Amino acid sequence: MKGFFSSALARGLFWQLIGTLVGAGLVTGIRALMGLTATDTFFFTEPAWVLGGFLGVLFFLVGSGVTSDWIKWARGIDTPDHHEDHHTGWDKYANVSLDHKVIGIQYTLVALALISIGGLFALIFRAELAASQLQFLTLDIKLFGQNGPQLYNTLMSLHGMIMIVSILLGISGIINYVVPLLLGAQDMAFPRLNAFSYWIAVPAAVLLLMSLVLGGFDTGWTGYPPLSARAPVGMQMFFLGVFTAGWSSILGSLNVLVTVVRMRSKGMTAMRMPILVWAAIATSLIALTATQLIGLSFQSVMFQRLFGMGFYDAAKGGNPVLFQHLFWFYSHPAVYVFILPGLGVISELLPVFVRKPLFGYRWIAMSSLGIALVGFVVWAHHMFTSGMNEYLRVPFMYSTLLVAVPTGVKFFSWVATLWKGKISTPTPMLFVLGGIIVFLMGGLSGPPNATVSTDLHLHDTYFIVGHFHDTIFGGFVFPFFAAIYYWFPKATGRRMNETLGKIHFWLMTPSFFVLTFGMMYVGLLGMRRRIADYDPALGIDSAHLVLTIAGFLIALSVLIFFYNFFKSIKSGEKAEGNVWNSRSPEWQVPSPMPVHNYEQPFEVVGEPYDYGLKDAGYVKFIEPDKGTHK
Amino acid sequence: MSHSQDKSSALGQGVVIFVYLAVLTVLEFFVAVSFEAVPLLLVVAVIKAALVMYYYMHIYKLNQEDGTDEHSYEYKTGSNRLGLWLFLLSDAFVFGGLMVMRVNLLGNTRPEALNQVLGLLVTAVLLVSSFFMNRGETAMAHGDTKSFMNNTLITFVLGLGFFLGVIFVEWPEAAHEGLTVFSGTPATGPMGGVFYFMTGMHAFHVLTGLIFLAVVWNNARKGIYTAEKHWGVEAAAVYWHFVDLVWIFFYPALYLIGTAVALK
Repeated sequence: MKGFFSSALARGLFWQLIGTLVGAGLVTGIRALMGLTATDTFFFTEPAWVLGGFLGVLFFLVGSGVTSDWIKWARGIDTPDHHEDHHTGWDKYANVSLDHKVIGIQYTLVALALISIGGLFALIFRAELAASQLQFLTLDIKLFGQNGPQLYNTLMSLHGMIMIVSILLGISGIINYVVPLLLGAQDMAFPRLNAFSYWIAVPAAVLLLMSLVLGGFDTGWTGYPPLSARAPVGMQMFFLGVFTAGWSSILGSLNVLVTVVRMRSKGMTAMRMPILVWAAIATSLIALTATQLIGLSFQSVMFQRLFGMGFYDAAKGGNPVLFQHLFWFYSHPAVYVFILPGLGVISELLPVFVRKPLFGYRWIAMSSLGIALVGFVVWAHHMFTSGMNEYLRVPFMYSTLLVAVPTGVKFFSWVATLWKGKISTPTPMLFVLGGIIVFLMGGLSGPPNATVSTDLHLHDTYFIVGHFHDTIFGGFVFPFFAAIYYWFPKATGRRMNETLGKIHFWLMTPSFFVLTFGMMYVGLLGMRRRIADYDPALGIDSAHLVLTIAGFLIALSVLIFFYNFFKSIKSGEKAEGNVWNSRSPEWQVPSPMPVHNYEQPFEVVGEPYDYGLKDAGYVKFIEPDKGTHK
Repeated sequence: MSHSQDKSSALGQGVVIFVYLAVLTVLEFFVAVSFEAVPLLLVVAVIKAALVMYYYMHIYKLNQEDGTDEHSYEYKTGSNRLGLWLFLLSDAFVFGGLMVMRVNLLGNTRPEALNQVLGLLVTAVLLVSSFFMNRGETAMAHGDTKSFMNNTLITFVLGLGFFLGVIFVEWPEAAHEGLTVFSGTPATGPMGGVFYFMTGMHAFHVLTGLIFLAVVWNNARKGIYTAEKHWGVEAAAVYWHFVDLVWIFFYPALYLIGTAVALK
C-alpha cells in the first residue's frame, strides 16, 4: 500500500485534484472580480468546472511523470532509449513504464475495471426495469442532485460511454501486448507516446465518473443537442472525458500504424503478416481519423453552452441535425473499431484450435480493410428518423447493407476453416466459437435496422439494444475473453483454471442469448430504449423479469472470471512453453515474455497459418553468427 | 537527405514557390471581389496546398530510403516523419469537420462584417512566415545554425504577429462591426459561432506552432542540431507549414466565397 501512494497513478490522481481546483478556482475568482455569480448548485459554476476538468487532465499528465522525457527533449536534453524498470509486482502497473507489454496489461486492467463499473450501472437500471412502475429509483430519492428517474438516465447514459471507453482500452490492451510480439519488434515505434496514450485514458475515466456526481446528464451516450445544450453540468464533464479518451485512441492508433509499417521482422511481407495485424491496421485507420469528429461535435456543444455560439441553436440559425452527422461520422465507424480487433482475434485463434490453415487468408485480410473503408460512408443510417433530407436515406441504406459483404467473407472463412478440422475446445476456443455465433446473431438482426422501411418502426426500440449488444459481445467481449485466456500464460507464465473458465463460458453464453433475444422481443412489442418505466398494458413485465435475471447471471459469470484471473496469477498451473502448440513467434520462446522480447531476431520463412502441413515453418530464429564466438 | 540539392538552388526554389503562392493569393483575392467563382477558388486553393505540401513540407520524403538498421538516426527519423504525417492527417479531420460545419450552417453566404484588407494582410503575414521557415530549415539541412536561427526568429515574429493580429485586431474589429460569438439569426445562420470557432481553432494551432518554434530555436542556440541530425527542426517546419496549409482553405472559406450578408 505504501508503494501505491508513491506510484505514478497516485501522484497523477493527486495532481488531477489540484489541477481541477486550480482551474475552477481561477474562473471563480475572475467571475467574482467581474461581479458575476461565482458559485452554483455544485459549488463551482459550469465554466469553472470545465476549466478545472481540463487543467486536471494536464496536471495529471505532468504530475504522473509520463511527459517528463518530452520535457527534457524540449530543453535539449537527450534520454536513453529505454528505462530500466525498477518496480516489481503490481507496482509495475501503477507506474509509468515504456514496455509495450506492461502498457498492454495496464490497458487491460483499466478496461476490466471500467467493464465492472459499466456493468454495475447496468445491473442497477436493469433491476429497476424488472417490473413496470418505479420501484427504487423513485421520484422521492435524491442523490447527486438527481431524483430516481434522472439517476436512471445518468446511469443508462454512462453505461454506454463507460463501456465504449472500456472497449477502446480493451482493444488497445490486446493490440499493445500482442502486435509487437507478432511483428518481432522490440517495442512499439514510439514507446513514450504509447505510455502517454495509456495514461491520458486514466484522467478521462475520472472525468466520466465525475459527471455522475455533478448532476449527471440525461441524453444517453449520444449527447444530442438541444437536450445536451441544457443538461446539468455533468454533461460538460462527459464531453471533456470523451474528448480526452479520444486522444488516447488517436495517438495509440498512430503508434500502431507506424509500428506495423516500420518495425516488421525480416521477410514479413504484407501477405505474411498475422491476421490480427491486419485487423489492427484497419481499426487504427478509423480511430486515427474519425475520432476527431466526435471530439469536434462534443467540443462544439461545449462551446455553445459556454460561450453562446449558436451551432445547434435553431433560434440563431443553428442546425441540430448537423451535430448528428458529425457525431455519427465517428460513432458508427467506432463500432468497427470495437469489433475488427475482436474478429482478428477469432481469425488468429481459430486455426490454432482447428489445426488447419486459415481459409482464404488474403480475403480475410482485405475484408478488414473493406469493412473499415465502407464504414466511413454508412453513418447516416442512424438518422433515418432524424428529419435529414429524405434523398439521403436510400444511398445510406445500400452502403450499410454493403457492409454485410466483407463481414460475410469472414464468416465463410471461419466456417471453411472449421470444416473437417481437428477441433479441440479449451476455454479460449469456446469463446472464439461463442463469439462467432453471437456475432452472427448481431449480423442477422442488423439488416432490419439498415433497411429504411423497417427501421422507421424499430428506431429507438429495445430491438436496437438487443442488436448492438449481440454485435459488441460477439465482436468484442467474447474475443476479448478468448484473448485473455489465450495470452494469459504468455504474460504470467501460468494458465487460468480450465474448469472455472468453462463455467464462465457456459453460464455467460445462454444467459446472454436470453438477454439479447429478450431485448429484441420486448422491443418488437413496443418497449422503447432509454426509458426508466414502461406501461404494464404492454404485457412485457414477465419478459423484463427474465431479462433482469439473465443480466445478473452474466454478472455472476464475470465474477467467476475475475476470481479465476486473480487466483491464477498467484497459483495457476505453470505454463512456460508453447501451451497451445501455436505457430506464432511469441509462443516459440519461454513465458513470461522476456523484457526486451526476442533475444534472437527471427525471419519469416513461410505462411502464418499452415497448420497440419509438413515442413511448413512460419518463423526461423536467426542464430547469432557462431564463427565469431569460436 | 537534402544533400541531393545544393544550398543556393534549394533557397532559390523556396523563392520561386513563394512567388507562385503570392501570385495565386492575389489572384484569388481579385477573382473573389470581382465575381462569383467558388470552383475556381477551390482549384486555386488546391494548387496552393499542393505546392506547400510538396516544396515546403517535402511530403515526398515519406517515400525516402533510410536503410535497414532500426537503431540508426536516419531510420528513426523516417518513423518519426510517418508519425508526424499521420498526426497531421488526423488533425486535418478536425479542420475538415469545421469546413463541413461552415458549409452546412452558412452555405453560400459569409459575414459582411469582416474587413477584407485585414484578411488579406494576415494571410500575407502567414504566407511570408512560411517562406522564412523554409529558408531556415534549408539552412539547417546544410549545417548553418546561425542562418537557421535568424530565419526562425523572423518566422516566429511573423507568426506572433498573425496570432496577436487575429486575437486583438481581427476579432475586436469584427465584434465592433456586429459579429460576436452570439451572432446569428435563422436567416443568416450562426455566423458568429462559425467564424470564431474556425479562427479560434486555427489560432490555437498557430500558438502551439509558436511554442514549437521557440523550443527548436532555443535548442539550436545550444547547438544540438547538425546537418545530419535535425529532426526537431524538420518537424517544427512541417507543422508550421501545415498551419499555413489550413489557412489556405480557411481564408477563402471565411472571407472570399459566397455573398456577404449583413447581420443587423
